[in-house]
Amino acid sequence: MPDPIRTDEQPHDEAEELLPWYATGQLDPKERALVEQHLLSCAKCQRQLAIERRMVDEFQALTPEIDTGWARLRQRLEPRETWRDRAGREAAGVWRMLSRPQVALLAAAQLAFVIFAAGLLLSLSRPSYRALGSASAPAAANVIVMFSPDTTEAEWRKVLTANGASLVGGPTSTDAYLLTVPAASRPAALKRLRADHHVMMAEAIDGGRP
Amino acid sequence: MREGPDLNVVGTVIRPRTEAARSGAREEGELLDRVKSQDVDAFERLYRIYQPRLARFLVNLVQRPQLVEEVLDDTMMVVWQTADRFRGTSKLSTWIFAIAYRKALKARSRWPDPVEDDELHARVSEDPAPDDQLHHQRLHDALVTAMTQLSAEQRAVVDLTYFHGMGYREIAEIADCPVDTVKTRMFHARRRLKQALAGTLADWL
Repeated sequence: MPDPIRTDEQPHDEAEELLPWYATGQLDPKERALVEQHLLSCAKCQRQLAIERRMVDEFQALTPEIDTGWARLRQRLEPRETWRDRAGREAAGVWRMLSRPQVALLAAAQLAFVIFAAGLLLSLSRPSYRALGSASAPAAANVIVMFSPDTTEAEWRKVLTANGASLVGGPTSTDAYLLTVPAASRPAALKRLRADHHVMMAEAIDGGRP
Repeated sequence: MREGPDLNVVGTVIRPRTEAARSGAREEGELLDRVKSQDVDAFERLYRIYQPRLARFLVNLVQRPQLVEEVLDDTMMVVWQTADRFRGTSKLSTWIFAIAYRKALKARSRWPDPVEDDELHARVSEDPAPDDQLHHQRLHDALVTAMTQLSAEQRAVVDLTYFHGMGYREIAEIADCPVDTVKTRMFHARRRLKQALAGTLADWL
């Protein structure tokens, strides 16, 4: 339909193209001014603007009810939540707990205890005596003694102390004990040990004879 | 969608950027930050905000209910899995709609075009209804039918403009095309809608 008011095609095309967004208020100020200027003189665009506004209203009224369901989507998240998110959250929680000074101290103490206990177990698992003539006999053992069966623990401890001896092994399969005494005093120690009525036997074990 | 309308010199409704809209965007931004750290509650909230808008957008775009569900879920899964890639250079809604747009066109390519809705045509071709409500229903049906005659790309532009109230620059971002392409699609879509609605257009005004 010819429009007697329209005077220039180009502003008309531009304005008509922008009408939908003019109707929804989505133009910048410059574009809005262009459209408004054109609308003042274009009956065709004024009619078209009325249609645009009606289209906006009609589209607002088109409201399809579609419930796509959160529950279904939530199920798709589940695997990720269980293995990754939860693991990460728990690891982060443990780390946060360990980062607290008191907890860190406690953890360090527990770790020290575990190391100590492991060392203890290890040492207990080793043979607690050395066989006579064994190559692995403690190098420091230089005397072997055998106490009489009625010797009490207090008595043979007194004997050891009196001779400056330390127990380094035993009892062996023959109930002998391995001692270490200062090398310089060993002859005197052997002499005293042999004289002691609690001692049945006292011998040097590194080949040296007093 | 229309909040506190202002009237300009020729009485056109202008939708202002209200404080409510800004605070809504802030809330969505905060939700997305939580989604980045895999917060399921925040994701559910974001889903509930976007589900109606995306469902509406996708119904018009793909025109198959079973595809709408699939594409909407796939879209939100991408949001869930790649939230940390959103840098905030565009609006969150633009980013999410762009994902939905790509997913929808991809899904469409796997499916043949829908068969025409004979029942819908039957309703549209009925004699004029005796009362206003049915009269309005007739217009509504005519519009739905007219939309099916547009391309998917045209339907997207039309719906994002008229229903979602987006400007052509934002639509260009969503469709990943030049702004002139958006204007051209809209121009041709309007012409086709006008032709399709020719019989009922007089009732509109």
